Amino acid sequence: MSAAAEPAGPRPRRLTLSRVGVYVFLVGASAFFLLPLWAMVLTSLKPMSEIQQGDLFQLPHTPTFAAWSRAWSHACTGLACNGISVGFANSVKILVPSVVASIALGALTGYALAFYRVRGGNLVFAILLVGAFIPYQVFIYPLVRIFAWIGIYGTLTGIVVIHSIFGLPFMTLLFRNYYSSLPRELFNAARVDGAGFLGILRHVILPMSTPIVIVAVILQVTGIWNDFILGLTFAGLANQPMTVQLNNVVATTQGTVEYDVDMAATILTAALPLAVYLVSGRWFVRGIAAGAVKG
Amino acid sequence: MTPAESAAKFRARLRNQAPAALALLPAAIVVAVVYVGSMLMTARLSFSSSHMLPTFDWAGGEQYSRLFDTERFVESTQHIALFGVLFIVASLTLGFLLAVFIDQKVRFEALFRTIFLYPFSMSFIVTGLVWQWMLHPELGIEKTVRAWGFAHFTFRWIVDENLVVYTLVIAAVWQASGLVMAILLAGLRGVDAELWKATKIDAIPTWRVYWSVILPTLGPMLTTAAVLLAVSVAKLFDLVVAMTRGGPGISSEVPAKFIMDNFFGRSNVALGSAAATMLLVTVVAVVGPWVYFEHFRRKGVRA
Amino acid sequence: MRFKAGLMAFVATAALAVGAARAADPNSVEVIHWWTSGGEAAAVKVFADAFDKAGGKWIDAAIANGDQARAAGINRIIGGNPPGMMQFNTGKQLDELVKGGYLDTLDALAKAGNWAAVLPKSIAAASMRDGHWYALPVNIHGQGWMFYSVKAFKDAGVEPPKTWADVLADAPKLKAKGIIPIAQGGQPWQEHILFDDVLAGQGGSDMFLKVYGDKKTAAAAVADPKFKAVAETFKKLKDFMDPGEAGRNWNDATAMVITGKAGMQMMGDWAKGEFSHANQTAGKDYGCVPISGGYIIGGDVFVFPKQAGASDLSAGQKLLAETMFSPAIQLAFNKVKGSIPVRTDVDTSSMDTCAQQGAALMKDPSKQLPSLNYLISPDEAGALDDVITKYFNTPDETADQFVQKFADAIKNSA
Repeated sequence: MSAAAEPAGPRPRRLTLSRVGVYVFLVGASAFFLLPLWAMVLTSLKPMSEIQQGDLFQLPHTPTFAAWSRAWSHACTGLACNGISVGFANSVKILVPSVVASIALGALTGYALAFYRVRGGNLVFAILLVGAFIPYQVFIYPLVRIFAWIGIYGTLTGIVVIHSIFGLPFMTLLFRNYYSSLPRELFNAARVDGAGFLGILRHVILPMSTPIVIVAVILQVTGIWNDFILGLTFAGLANQPMTVQLNNVVATTQGTVEYDVDMAATILTAALPLAVYLVSGRWFVRGIAAGAVKG
Repeated sequence: MTPAESAAKFRARLRNQAPAALALLPAAIVVAVVYVGSMLMTARLSFSSSHMLPTFDWAGGEQYSRLFDTERFVESTQHIALFGVLFIVASLTLGFLLAVFIDQKVRFEALFRTIFLYPFSMSFIVTGLVWQWMLHPELGIEKTVRAWGFAHFTFRWIVDENLVVYTLVIAAVWQASGLVMAILLAGLRGVDAELWKATKIDAIPTWRVYWSVILPTLGPMLTTAAVLLAVSVAKLFDLVVAMTRGGPGISSEVPAKFIMDNFFGRSNVALGSAAATMLLVTVVAVVGPWVYFEHFRRKGVRA
Repeated sequence: MRFKAGLMAFVATAALAVGAARAADPNSVEVIHWWTSGGEAAAVKVFADAFDKAGGKWIDAAIANGDQARAAGINRIIGGNPPGMMQFNTGKQLDELVKGGYLDTLDALAKAGNWAAVLPKSIAAASMRDGHWYALPVNIHGQGWMFYSVKAFKDAGVEPPKTWADVLADAPKLKAKGIIPIAQGGQPWQEHILFDDVLAGQGGSDMFLKVYGDKKTAAAAVADPKFKAVAETFKKLKDFMDPGEAGRNWNDATAMVITGKAGMQMMGDWAKGEFSHANQTAGKDYGCVPISGGYIIGGDVFVFPKQAGASDLSAGQKLLAETMFSPAIQLAFNKVKGSIPVRTDVDTSSMDTCAQQGAALMKDPSKQLPSLNYLISPDEAGALDDVITKYFNTPDETADQFVQKFADAIKNSA
């Protein structure tokens, strides 16, 4: 699906009462969506004394980035006081191989399902589709046991495998639907020319895959970055992603609750997906709608 | 066809299909081991008496009768039902309104779109923490409004056992209604310009056009949005952990958290498995038909 | 296909890495524990430093939150890659590990160190299964304490309470002075501790032991009108807490007593770590009262999982156990931890007044109660957590309803 550029609504008239109403509604809604972020940014720039005295939406008297640097490099999660930067590094370590592996696997599976009539292919696809909707809790316990048994429980490998597994349904759906919408003649022509499975993939399909790969990357980067429960359960202590660490930082307090540091850490954790969203714009919208809407 | 010919054809077919079958092998393994295998194991464990370690004895339906005797589980299902209905209805309504209002050829359209959708890029952990602070009586909205001079203003839903579920709804709607807007906006942009001309000639009020003409054409998109929202309902866990930890009391507990607590905190693998199995059955009953109609029946699967 | 090959390579590498770690120095021991708060970390450092000094090598694997630490350790034990030593709670979980043959016995060490003679009987019993030692106890925590701010009580002109009746009488006076009478963290385990303190303090040790004892005696004890009275007292305490208590951490509640914003907190003696961290002195800035009427004994133990290919404890594991159990290290560790030494033959006169009160109570067996870890399974404890927190946070739930649910939870859980 593609969003047509032109609004299709009724033609605007002069500035009437109803036009004013439209803007009042939109601005009011904007306030609802922006206020939490605004409050967090303000609070993260205030010293603790100001937070205790004033209210959430008061502008800081003496803005300071002290909380940001504390959150980044000194905030404590229990024993270790190395800040949220450790979680950032872990999340990157998890993110890169997980995104690559899950997209590669999804693309391969989607390609095979779209162009080949493999026995049992439909069954695999159907189970994957239903599987996409089943809460992780149903699988977690047996998977923990299986992973412990193979010896990858609590390792980087383990969490990468897990993200590939749970990314598989959606990635497969994405690529299969995209490849199904490509003109089949291209595939048939290449086949007549004697190209094999991998040859067609490399020379015909992959060169046409750029748009869907971009969508997949956006989806997986934000999805894997924002994951909490899988990282919590499978990544192990040494690889805890940023979301898990953020929750630990906020839950760990010594003496007083440091709202400035907590909120700075929260913004830092949200920064990457937010940047992806702001930069990718319309691709992001296409991505979130793509899997479920046909094509 | 001579036997030799059909053998050649078979070999050709094998040559064509074997690499594809091999390519599907990882997916098939994942499906067999993870999706089917783990589900079966979870279901099997729910009929055992496992505590800390999994044992495969037979305890019949004992865990299930205990499960439905457990106030926390029963309340969890009520919370998730209430949350699910309110969250989906409110997100669809707000998302539809946002899309319609943005569709009025407004200035700064791109800015508004960006503002409405940005929360969707954030994790449930971040969303939960943000709203926990916004709603905390000693920090957030209550304190702010009091500071403005309304000394007796109270807004304590998040510490009120009867109202805390609604705070989860607020946070989740904040996060997800932009998604609905984005999906529906794409649908609105697909409405034929001729349609608007026609309704204008007939002098039909705009709201009536949206309600009786446009809304029905958005049906498939509304379904898509509703399904995407429904998925996050069943998975609801992170938001609760970050925002309320299930409290006050057990008034914002959800099934997913009950399952995790029993697996990993309470050494109660069998009971956790029973709860997970209930969740599984519910989700499959809801989603199974949708998957069938959406992806198999209408178009047929092109293999 | 390529992915799968990659996966196999990954798995192989991971397995190699694991193997390499296992084949390391025989004197190194990897330790899983969940002591991650400021005071706890300082305490665990006492063990680690002493072990390193004695020639061992402490490999620290701290995992915040006991549930997660235990889950990680258990999964590694079953996965064949056990840690050298891990922190544990005694009770049913220990039973399962022992039954599965996953733990080394400590019989030789116990005999050489004369554990049976120096440990209190209840602790010794909890560390043994079928006559064999499986757990190394390292400390005794008292859970039934009330800590109060000396200044807050002076300002309100009230004597610190000794009993629950006193608490109910004094709290309104604190409230009248604008002091939050009770600092509480609204998390189920903290509410459970508070409930146990009322149960033992008002209901009596006998009732406490019956409620958490054999399921048959439990049913009768819960049906006793005195149990209902306990429930009523417990619920009344809610009126003396602030609305911000929902979800609060225990140490944030302690901070309210430290600053004098609140009058008192019922908590285990680990709260002392927070007071000393804020440079407050027991007896001068803050006081402690055994509000449960005695000493609810909790504590930590360590177990030694069987290592692949080894028939007995390694030299490092033996050295570590001996180091941690030695009288000098026991004293040093427990001073920092806020607990008291597990050995009865250690001189505690150098410890703070609260610890000395505790040690004195420990000399009188009639004042001792085992904490829940020793008495009931995590399953039952969890089920009761739910019942207690629900009652405490639901204004219109009556004591009768609570009693009924409490009895059901005991009956239904393992």
